[in-house]
Amino acid sequence: MIKELLIVLLLLAGCFFFLAGTLGLLRFPDLFSRLHALTNADNLGLGFIAAGMALYIASPWTSVKIFLIWILTLLSSATSSYLIARFQRGQDKSKNRREE
Amino acid sequence: MDILIDILLALLSVYLAFRCMLAPKLSKAVFVFFAFGLTLALAWIRLGAVDVAIAEAAIASGFMGVLLLDSLRDFSLTFSKNHNVIEVKPNNSVEVKNRSELFPKIGLGIGLLLFLLISLEAVWNIPEGGGLTALAGSKISESGVEHPVTAVLLNYRAYDTWLEIGVILMGLLAIFAAGGIKQYRKAGITPSQDPILRQAILIFIPVLFLFGAFLLYFGKMGPGGAFQAAVMWGAIGILLHLGGWPVFTEIPRRLRLLMLTAGLGFFLFLGLIFMTTGGALFEYPPAYAGLLILMIETFGAVSIAAALTAIFAFLTK
Amino acid sequence: MDSFFIIVIIFLLLNIGLGLIRLWRGPSIADRLLTTQLFGTAGMAILMVMAGYLNDLTLLNVVITFNVLSIILVICLVQVWKKKKEKMP
Repeated sequence: MIKELLIVLLLLAGCFFFLAGTLGLLRFPDLFSRLHALTNADNLGLGFIAAGMALYIASPWTSVKIFLIWILTLLSSATSSYLIARFQRGQDKSKNRREE
Repeated sequence: MDILIDILLALLSVYLAFRCMLAPKLSKAVFVFFAFGLTLALAWIRLGAVDVAIAEAAIASGFMGVLLLDSLRDFSLTFSKNHNVIEVKPNNSVEVKNRSELFPKIGLGIGLLLFLLISLEAVWNIPEGGGLTALAGSKISESGVEHPVTAVLLNYRAYDTWLEIGVILMGLLAIFAAGGIKQYRKAGITPSQDPILRQAILIFIPVLFLFGAFLLYFGKMGPGGAFQAAVMWGAIGILLHLGGWPVFTEIPRRLRLLMLTAGLGFFLFLGLIFMTTGGALFEYPPAYAGLLILMIETFGAVSIAAALTAIFAFLTK
Repeated sequence: MDSFFIIVIIFLLLNIGLGLIRLWRGPSIADRLLTTQLFGTAGMAILMVMAGYLNDLTLLNVVITFNVLSIILVICLVQVWKKKKEKMP
């Protein structure tokens, strides 16, 4: 019973962060602040959902796999945020090109 | 309650498909296409086809995405150069316009109607007993693998899979034929100066290799297999090229050609060898079938991965 | 528990649908890429919940595929477009 309550809470927290990430993506004024909103969803949203599902599936090896997936996501989201931000900063300097 | 997810997924994928076709800008179309691929992968999971979901996500969204991003760059380059030329073009095609708009519409309408009729007919006539499912399931112990999809792909219908490997090679040949094989350039990209990008690539390469090998082996008992593994291994080559280490053009030419043709050749070789002992084409002895299938898949994955890397290396130079 | 999972999945799908607005509107190409990243992550979350709901652990492999491909798309965009800038006079 307590376990189920915990799962529900974890999934709800994950959903909340996903909603926050999406709203941030829609409402924030420029790309750099949108990146911040997106990493919210990547790290915390997926983290909470992963924790909830690891608790639900309740097999040690699967939990390890889910944890590794989350670590991989942290790595890739941090890297891609850095790369996108740097890319955008480089883009702004040269405006001799039209987006198509 | 399940039906809600299905309806939502169906609506989302059809909507995205329409949006992708009707997008006014190429960049919008490309990114809507990525989203469409991901939605399709989710839809395949709801249909119970995890193999297809992995292939869809990896090929349609990943590999195609890489190619599309690259061509988007080229289009953006040409359009910004020829921007003025397009506007200057005289507008003297008024009468032609009406006729040329009418005929494609009629043709498109007829084609769509035919397609609708054919697909309705196909859905209507699904066999009651599930077609060959029962037969395929009953012979699974002789096929050498435990997963029915792999059994169908590499044992029952090996001929199809052999030709599929061939199709990828043919695609590569067509690209070579259109672009000229001598245009492989050795240098051009310098290794990336960015330390974080470099480390990220170096971290992801072992992950990709392990995951590809896992998928290859796991194909025996679950969703996975040569094609999915090949995309993961091909991604290694693509990442190395993107980071400025053009490995594929660095390795000797003969080895490169061997890698490209190994899958097709080895598959055919095995098929023919067992023909001499009295079997049909691509008929393996059940005792060794598991091992042979794993070998074929390994060679196939290596050569598909090489082909994907070659396509990327050739198109983005 | 099962109906709760379905609600979570539907919520995440609607989230994806909402994110489409940014994909459509986003002024720069990097904004559009961001939306694709969000789709990837939300898709991963949906797949994880589905893995529990359908009791099919092989779905976790699809999760890894999604993850790996989203980072490749980013690296591709950054590197390929950077090369172009260097080529431009």
